[in-house]
Amino acid sequence: MNDRRRVNGPPGGTRPPVFQSGLQSSNPSDRPRRQRQPAELRKIFLKTGLIPSASGSAYLEFEPSASLAANRSNPKSMIPPSSALKLTCTVHGPKPLPRSAAYSPNLVLTTHVKYAPFAARRRKGHVRDSSERDLGVHLETALRGAIIAERWPKSGLDITITILEAEDDRWWGEPPDSHDASWGIMNVLAGCITAASAAIADARIDCLDLVAGGVAAITEDVGASHSGSGRLMLDTDPAEHASILSACVVAYMPARDEITELWLKGDSSKAVLDDGDSRQGHDALIDGAVDAARGSYSVLSEAVKESILNAVAHA
Amino acid sequence: MATPTASAVPAAPPSLSLPPSQFARLQPHAYLLAHLSPPPASNQPSIRANGRAPAQFRVTSANSGSLTHTNGSAVVRVGDTTAVCGVRAEILHTDDIASWSVSQASSGNTHKRRRLGDLGGKPTEESDDTYADAQDDEDRAHIQDLNLLVPNLSLSTGCAPGFTPGAPPSSLAQSLSHQILSLLHTSRLVRADDLRIWYQPPNLGREDLERHNEDEAMDVDAGPGAAGLSKPREIKAFWVLYIDVMIISLAGNPFDAAWASVLAALRDTKLPKAWWDIDNETILCSDDVSQARKLSLRGFPIASSFCVFDADAAAAYRAVVIPKADEPKRRGFKQTWILADPDGYEEGLSQERACLVVDKESNGQGKTVIVKMEKHGGWIIDTEDLRQLVSMSAQRWDEMKQILEQC
Amino acid sequence: MSNPRQASSASQTPHLSPAELSYLYTSLSLPKGPIRPDGRSPTQFRPLTAETDILPGTNGSARIGFADGTQAIVGVKAEVEKTVLASDILQQDVENDLQAPSDRRDGAESTPSAAAGGHGSWVQMSIEIPGFRDDDALPVFLSEMMRESLVGSVTDAGKGRDTEMAGGLKGRLVINKRWHWRLYIDVLLLSQPLSYPLPLLSLTTHLALLSTKLPKLKSQGEEDPFFDDDWGVAEHLYPRPSPSASATSSQIRPPVTLLVISVGDNVIFDPNREEISVADAVLAISITRNSEGQGLKLLSIRTIDPPSRLTQPGVPNSENLSTMAATGNSDNAAAANPSAGQEEVPGVWRPRRGGIKRSVITELTRTVLKKGGVGEEVLEGLEGVEV
Repeated sequence: MNDRRRVNGPPGGTRPPVFQSGLQSSNPSDRPRRQRQPAELRKIFLKTGLIPSASGSAYLEFEPSASLAANRSNPKSMIPPSSALKLTCTVHGPKPLPRSAAYSPNLVLTTHVKYAPFAARRRKGHVRDSSERDLGVHLETALRGAIIAERWPKSGLDITITILEAEDDRWWGEPPDSHDASWGIMNVLAGCITAASAAIADARIDCLDLVAGGVAAITEDVGASHSGSGRLMLDTDPAEHASILSACVVAYMPARDEITELWLKGDSSKAVLDDGDSRQGHDALIDGAVDAARGSYSVLSEAVKESILNAVAHA
Repeated sequence: MATPTASAVPAAPPSLSLPPSQFARLQPHAYLLAHLSPPPASNQPSIRANGRAPAQFRVTSANSGSLTHTNGSAVVRVGDTTAVCGVRAEILHTDDIASWSVSQASSGNTHKRRRLGDLGGKPTEESDDTYADAQDDEDRAHIQDLNLLVPNLSLSTGCAPGFTPGAPPSSLAQSLSHQILSLLHTSRLVRADDLRIWYQPPNLGREDLERHNEDEAMDVDAGPGAAGLSKPREIKAFWVLYIDVMIISLAGNPFDAAWASVLAALRDTKLPKAWWDIDNETILCSDDVSQARKLSLRGFPIASSFCVFDADAAAAYRAVVIPKADEPKRRGFKQTWILADPDGYEEGLSQERACLVVDKESNGQGKTVIVKMEKHGGWIIDTEDLRQLVSMSAQRWDEMKQILEQC
Repeated sequence: MSNPRQASSASQTPHLSPAELSYLYTSLSLPKGPIRPDGRSPTQFRPLTAETDILPGTNGSARIGFADGTQAIVGVKAEVEKTVLASDILQQDVENDLQAPSDRRDGAESTPSAAAGGHGSWVQMSIEIPGFRDDDALPVFLSEMMRESLVGSVTDAGKGRDTEMAGGLKGRLVINKRWHWRLYIDVLLLSQPLSYPLPLLSLTTHLALLSTKLPKLKSQGEEDPFFDDDWGVAEHLYPRPSPSASATSSQIRPPVTLLVISVGDNVIFDPNREEISVADAVLAISITRNSEGQGLKLLSIRTIDPPSRLTQPGVPNSENLSTMAATGNSDNAAAANPSAGQEEVPGVWRPRRGGIKRSVITELTRTVLKKGGVGEEVLEGLEGVEV
């Protein structure tokens, strides 16, 4: 398994540092608290056209949570309390397919999502793992529904996303094996969708509408009574919630009120909705994710507008 | 080659007029040449197609410490080339080093010999120069032999159309990774002492045996043997720095940007306080920021790259003839230009490259030191030019130092 | 990059002409209920043959064959493995403080937050499909999808009760604090997939897991585990209803993933290759029995890229240059085409675009989950298989 094309570390392997404070059962009150309202989204920074060599590009960053911002401005602990998504997306194309490729009447979309080695709490390898490949498939599904692909027969479009900082799957202070469900990946996917849509628009590829990603989750608070306390939250940061029962990410096109990608997992049956709300848990969850997507759509459309104004100004 | 008559659309037949952007693509060489050698009548200065003077570097900006999951990180933008560097520290236990017990014995000997002064002439800003010099060999032994610095550069980020994401690193990426690695080693930027985690075995039989954990926690900065205790202290582990550079956007000259980001990220790097915990038989770290240490880097090496543009477009295709010494200098009619910090367009038009890494002694006050000098692919740069390049690199050093220190 | 086409998850691009696609779409989207090419009702599954325990070398195995000849074999192997926690060494002193639990389930309860919950990585799934490399998008996507519902089906309601399946499959794999089972699920598709292979693979995996047995544990508590070598007393991974047991424990079953498509306003289950190639939307819905034994629980939904997006468009007569000759009309048509390409001409195939309406999703899930709906039907059918 020695990769000759990279600089390899010590052959015996290294271990991530173990912090003394992580040994004692950590105090649940140290957990970062969600400062936002259940339906309040994090701010998104989205900018297009930062990478001139690509036909289209976008950079997306989530606003750091209150606890992270506090630790940044006044650092106390070497262990970051939570993390905030940062990613870049580039679009290359449309370009002719390689000669060896089969004929395609439509634009052939290739999506590629890769974490930087330093993106997550645990160092990522240089080769894509299955979750990164899985993300790529989800992203492709989300975008393919929006792109008007038959306008570019025999062409290819490469979409590459580099994740510089990923979202946490859980709070670091939780025992390492308390749960291993990867909730953070859903936030990452939502960010990927929004950024990719901006980059595609920046590359002037015809789409039905901009696609925005949104996440909603049903969370259970620690200390609350154990059953039937699931609350619907939008844009959840997994580090801020002791228990996420179920989460859902959608790629949503507001103009057509359509969902091009839906990924829901977990037990959504315990959602407690308002009185008179007769929706099933999963329907409420999907609606919540759509609301979150609407929120990111407003940022997305601003960024795309800016991209177009820039292009006009330079023309 | 005829001297072009106009700078914007030179040498284009009157029947066919092309906008400059298309001309630049169709006839890149003539386009750049027209910019660099404007007609004498026009009184225009020689300027590059991108609007810079030949010796001018691109606008550079840097920002450090913005990535959460790194020990140190930096983003450096040089024009449209952007490099993101993240440094992650992990622990290498000496138990995990196959040949540790053997090599440790020999390095212990070197240590005792304390060769003084024989390595003089190397720039160190240490007050205890001699001691540091004596440490050099051991530094090299530890950092290089144990691979404590692991830089990797990735171009598979969609940074430019030519690099397929998901493919193994291209030869350019491999070469850049190794250039960074060798520069880290030769510049001795990181001190091995910063990366060592020491352990002072307790003097058994003392009554404070119970408290050894707290009281005799390792003080890394203390010299070996300083404590004068009965048992020699030993190295229990090393920090390994994984230095990953992602080139987010590539528009020429990736090395300067990558190296600057590595330097800035290492300057930003903080290692937590670490000690050998005898109860758990492992290394533990403190998450307290006030106990964490920054790396103390040696010097401030800055890379500057240049390329040579030759007016004779076919020069590269001619049979290679060693230029005669008595051949008159071609400077009278200037046919070559040395371009600082080339962008992607210029890189594609030049065969000859030079890269200089310089540092200045005593924090910028002293004389300029060449840390690395590399030149390949042509006959044009001579000793006189090299001298000039060194002084240009020295100017660039001042500029970059200011930028990187502010970030 | 090597084969961009395979990246699309649902497909093999269909080899149907635009005219065939259009015909199929029209008949499947009929408002009074779809007419399927093979005459099935919208919720009817293709006939299949199933058998279990076909591989003596495995802990559990199953084979399912569809009438069209596609077959899948799933083998489940279990191995004992030492539990390595990130802070393994460091937890030992904590462990010593705890009284040695006499029973693994008690142990699980005393430290509900520790290793008792099991770990999703203990279930390893590999899918082999002829013509695909294991790191191609389709196998990766399929195995993530199936693994996700397997390890995710934690029955939190079981927390207070002393069932074997508290903590779901992950919890079942815990032997004691230091040891656990690692489950290797190997899925083999024996022929080139003729349709999207998800339902076949999911049903086969379900049966294989049902037939999986783990040897009976003879050791106690925190000892290094050793097992009874009598295969006759081995315990099922998913516990069987013993005649005396109450009905509730009998219902814990592995999840099943169903493939549902929507065409027009119609919802169609278990689509074959032709049907999926005209689908407006394709969803994979994973369900399982509720822990209380009544009703169904939704575990996950994933959209799958419908292959209809990759199809070749048909050309309406008004734009067909060969029948219209090159009159001035064609100029208009050509000019109008790029922007007006959206409009649907009846009988002319257009690759599907856009996404799914929310109402359609609600309808889809409702059809699956409702009492006596398709989900229950499928699970009952599977329960009928002799294992």
